[in-house]
Parts: sequence; C-alpha cells; structure tokens
Amino acid sequence: MAGAPRIYFDNAATTPIDPRVRAALQPYLDDCLGNPSSLHVEGRTARAAVENARRQVAELVGASPHGVVFTGSGTEADNLALAGVTRAFAGQPVHIVTSAIEHPAVRETCAWLAQREGVSVTYAPVKSDGIVDPDAVAALIDRETRLVSIMAANNVVGTLQPVREMARVAHTHGVLFHTDAVQAASCVPLDMQRDGIDLLSLSGHKLYGPKGIGALVCGDSVPLTPVIHGGGQERGLRSGTENVAAIVGFGEAARLCAATRGEEAARLVQLRERLIEGTRTRVPNAYVIGDLYRRLPGHVCLGFAGQEGESIKLMLALDEAGVAVSTGSACSAHKASEPSYVLTALGFDAFRARGALRITLGRFNTEGEVDRFLDLLSRAVGTLRPITTRAGAVAGVCS
Amino acid sequence: MTTADVALPGLDCGLCGFKLCSDLAARLPAQPELLERCIHLAPKTAPATLLRPLPQRESGTTAAATTVAAPRRAAGQALPVMARAEPEPTWQDSLGREFDFYLEHFPEEPGPRETILPHNPLITREMEIKVGDVLIGRPLGMSCGCPITHCGVATEVDPRTGVIVWCVTGPLRPRQEGFKDLGYYTAEAYDGLIRKQRPDVEVKIGMRYFFQPRMCMLQWRHSGLVNFMNRTKEGLQVRLEGLWIG
Repeated sequence: MAGAPRIYFDNAATTPIDPRVRAALQPYLDDCLGNPSSLHVEGRTARAAVENARRQVAELVGASPHGVVFTGSGTEADNLALAGVTRAFAGQPVHIVTSAIEHPAVRETCAWLAQREGVSVTYAPVKSDGIVDPDAVAALIDRETRLVSIMAANNVVGTLQPVREMARVAHTHGVLFHTDAVQAASCVPLDMQRDGIDLLSLSGHKLYGPKGIGALVCGDSVPLTPVIHGGGQERGLRSGTENVAAIVGFGEAARLCAATRGEEAARLVQLRERLIEGTRTRVPNAYVIGDLYRRLPGHVCLGFAGQEGESIKLMLALDEAGVAVSTGSACSAHKASEPSYVLTALGFDAFRARGALRITLGRFNTEGEVDRFLDLLSRAVGTLRPITTRAGAVAGVCS
Repeated sequence: MTTADVALPGLDCGLCGFKLCSDLAARLPAQPELLERCIHLAPKTAPATLLRPLPQRESGTTAAATTVAAPRRAAGQALPVMARAEPEPTWQDSLGREFDFYLEHFPEEPGPRETILPHNPLITREMEIKVGDVLIGRPLGMSCGCPITHCGVATEVDPRTGVIVWCVTGPLRPRQEGFKDLGYYTAEAYDGLIRKQRPDVEVKIGMRYFFQPRMCMLQWRHSGLVNFMNRTKEGLQVRLEGLWIG
C-alpha cells in the first residue's frame, strides 16, 4: 500500500511519547535550568517539579512518594533492586529466586551476582501457558533466600504473572518481593500496598514517556544499599543530578496512565481480540503463544505452524510493507534475540522457538490499523516457504 | 448464574475487555464463560491457547528449576576477575548428540563464511547478484536442510556457475539495506576456524567429522569432510564440504 503511513505495532519495545507528555516536559528543557539540589529559585523550581513527578509515579503503583527512586532506566532499577538487596545483606549468604523468563535486566544481573558476589540464584520454571506457578516458587525458597523477583508481565509472550500471590508466598517465608513492572505498569493495576510488593521497577518509555528515565519504587523498611555513589541524590540510593525534564515527562506519563488505565485496557483488549480473530480466519496455521486472557491487553505473540523458520522473512516482508513488529533472529554473527530463551522455557523446541511474531498494540493504534495489518499479514504469510508440503501436518511439525 | 453469584474484584481494570466490572457482571448470566476473562478470579492454570491444537508436549510444567550456586568468597577475599571462565563444553548438541569440534568464523569477517548454490543457479545472473549484495534464502534439501531462513552478504560471485560465497549475518542488515531473495539454496562448503576440539579427536584432512557451527541458532551438529587445513595463529583453518545436518 504505497504511501500509507507506517503501522507501529511494537509498543512492547518502546511506546511513542504522548504529546501531552512532550508538552509537560518541554519547558524543563527550554526554560528551567536549575539543579534540583540548588537552593536558589531555579533550583527550587526544579526540585518542586521532581517532587511532583515523584508523587505522580507513586500514585500509579499505590506507593508512598518517599519510596520512589528515579533511575536512568528500568534496567538500572532492576540492578538496584537485585544488587542493592544483596549488598544490604553483606556478610550473609544470599539466595535469590527468580524465573526462567525474566528480562535480561534481571536475568543477567542475577548471573553477574552469582559470579561476582557469591549469590545463589534459582530459576523457577514456567508453565507452557507462560505463567510462573507461585507454588513452584514457594518450593524453591530456603533459609538463605532474601529476595523473590518475578516480573509482572513478560515482554516476549505478554503473560501476566500472579504478583500478589508471589508476594504472599515470599512474605510467608519472610522474604522480600521484587517485580519488574516495566511492561505491566501502563495498563495493569498494581498497588504495592494492596499487593504486598516490596520493590517495583518502572521505565518511562514503556508508559508513553521519554527514554532514559526509570524508577525503583521501594516499600517501607526495605533494606537497600546503593550501587551508584556520589552526591547522595535520591535519598542516597542513586547519586547523580536528576534528569529533570525526563522525570517531569515520566510523572506526566504516569498520571495519564493512571487516569485512563481501565478504559484503555478494555479498548486494547478489544483491538487484540479483533487481531486474533482476524488472524484465525485468514491465517489458519497461526497459533497464539501464552494464555489467551492472562496477558497484557495489547500483546499478541503468534507462531505459524510449519513456517517458524521463516520468521525473519515474515518480519522483513512486514517491515517492507510498512509494519513494525518484533520477531526472533536468524542464524547470526550477533547475539541471539530474546525470544529464544523465553520460548525455550515454555517448552518450545529450538526450531519453533525461532518463530514467534510479537505484535504489541498501544495507545495510538486503531481498528483501521489492525484491519490493514491483517491484510498485510495474510499476504506476507502466503509468500513463506513451508517446511513441509504435507499440509495436514503443519500444526504438528517439530513437536 | 446471577451477578450475585460472583464477587468481581471491583478494580475496573479493563483487562477482561469490559470497562467496568459491572459491565462484565451484566453479561455473565447469558455468557458465564466470560468469567474466564477476569484475571483476578480465573483459575491460575488456564488452558493453553491455540488457534489450532498443537501436540501434547505443550501441557504441564516444562522444566525443572535450575540453580546457579556461585563459589562463596571468604571475607576479604579478592573479587574474581571480570572475564568469565569458559566452562568445558559438553561436546553435545542441543539434541544430545556428540560432536568433535566447534567451527568458528574468521575474526575479520561479519559472520560464518559459506559457499552456496541457488537451486536455480541461473538466478545468480538473472538477479545480477554482486559482491556486497545482501541476500536471504533457506538451505533446502541436499546438504544442510536447515529450516531457518538465513541472511548474509555476498563476498564472491561466480556468474558462470552460479556459486556464491557469503558471510551469514543477522537480519538487521537486510532490514536496513534491502535484500535479494535467493529462495532455496544448497550449502556446498563452510570455511572457518577450529579453536576448540575434543581432547581425544585429531583433525585430519580427508576425514569426516561431526562439528557444531558456533553461530547455529538451533545448535544442531553438522557433519562434513575436511578437504583443506591450514594452521594459523587464530586456530586451525579448515574447509568442510559434503555437509549434512546430524
């Protein structure tokens, strides 16, 4: 469709900045030059803006503003949670329970802590529907366990994890609970006090806010040791001059999400179901990966039975046709892309684990875009080479 | 079922597709199955969702928990060096089959070097393939039979025979630069380096070996005949022909 605007269906990778967020932060790029630690008018103006944003972020997740520690990213927030708790127990054995499908920000940090700081890490298995079983987590907790870290929503397959049950399990054993809520916070109601979450990671650019800003939100009395040292900003937990404009944008983004979350989630579920139903009708060898309902409202993870090895061609064809979606990677000299270990953990073999197409809808996507995407998808899938010519066998291939 | 039978959470989260819990509750008498949509009430082990059913393998817990227990440091003991010590390979591929060595790509090249032949060699001329072109295709049938579409950049082109030498790379380059689609091709040869091999294996020219291309996404072993060897400072340079997966 020459000349048609591109369709952005990769909101799990990053969300476009909301114009209202841009308007809110712009004055802090243009006019407000103060350092929030300064005592003059300019500094106090910046400080007030940071504290207002802190309150907005806290309200999004049902926390006290005092618990919000602004960071440079969601990844940094995860690092602070994991390393900060580990170091708070210095001199004592530390065991962390996490899951096999965590984002690399948690997964790699755990691996680093295991290698460098003597931490034991246990990776809880995930069921084939993409959900981690709280009972399985409970069974892994031992006397040395200090922290359970389970993501609120998986970035690859979109499944929602039962964080409240996870927190209950952790607290039953006297263990802290952390959740990476980077994917979930824009559209899933999380309340740290109600749900018993001790530590929660957020990222601005997954909430229609700016990149380069995140937060670790901490409950009361959570032992945490900083990993970045310096001027003592953020209650000494994250030194470094605050990124005022990004923080203001993050706060406004959080406010907008909180104000429209339920209504927007319902709209996205309707769009998602339109997409799934349309796919079922037009691409009969497609299958949804992960639980159908316990998933992010705008998240669809599709496989194409018998054509999983062609995911790169599908992605290229969609990209050429004007659609941005996410997929796995072909044989590469570079690092393998993220779906492999998550889908492998779900029980997919190496072949099928390459074939996921991640379609993630967001605030600015429309029914018209979904319908246009379905046209383009069915056309693109039709050009793929099947791994078998035995049509009746495609659903069972590589099982 | 009446709405009184169900205590919806009252969060109005929208994740069921209804803006308000009361909207869902109003529909439940006629469609009680909609209750499954409430993530706060639905059983935590909902059935896996497929547009078409897949084999039984999909059900149940898929893997046991794994633990990484790092060696504990005594107080005051120096931190270990940054570089991770590479563990001794198991010399088994992802399907548990033994192999003899890893095949690495040349350090100065962007990816594994392969000699390939399109199933219709004429397309090398028809598509005017030249050095530097970004190509995609799948190694069908004779030779590798890999189910994965490969992407690469041509480094040598023989328009007379249709033979192409390319370095296999990731998908980013075709996305950025466009590409030519070879369709199916046969992998005729691999060139690369052996830097690590089983201690009990001696690599000799003229012998067939099982090997693991380091960058193979499926981590399946291949087999091939060594018909060229050259000891270099980076490792043992080899050329392998007569390729098969497994």
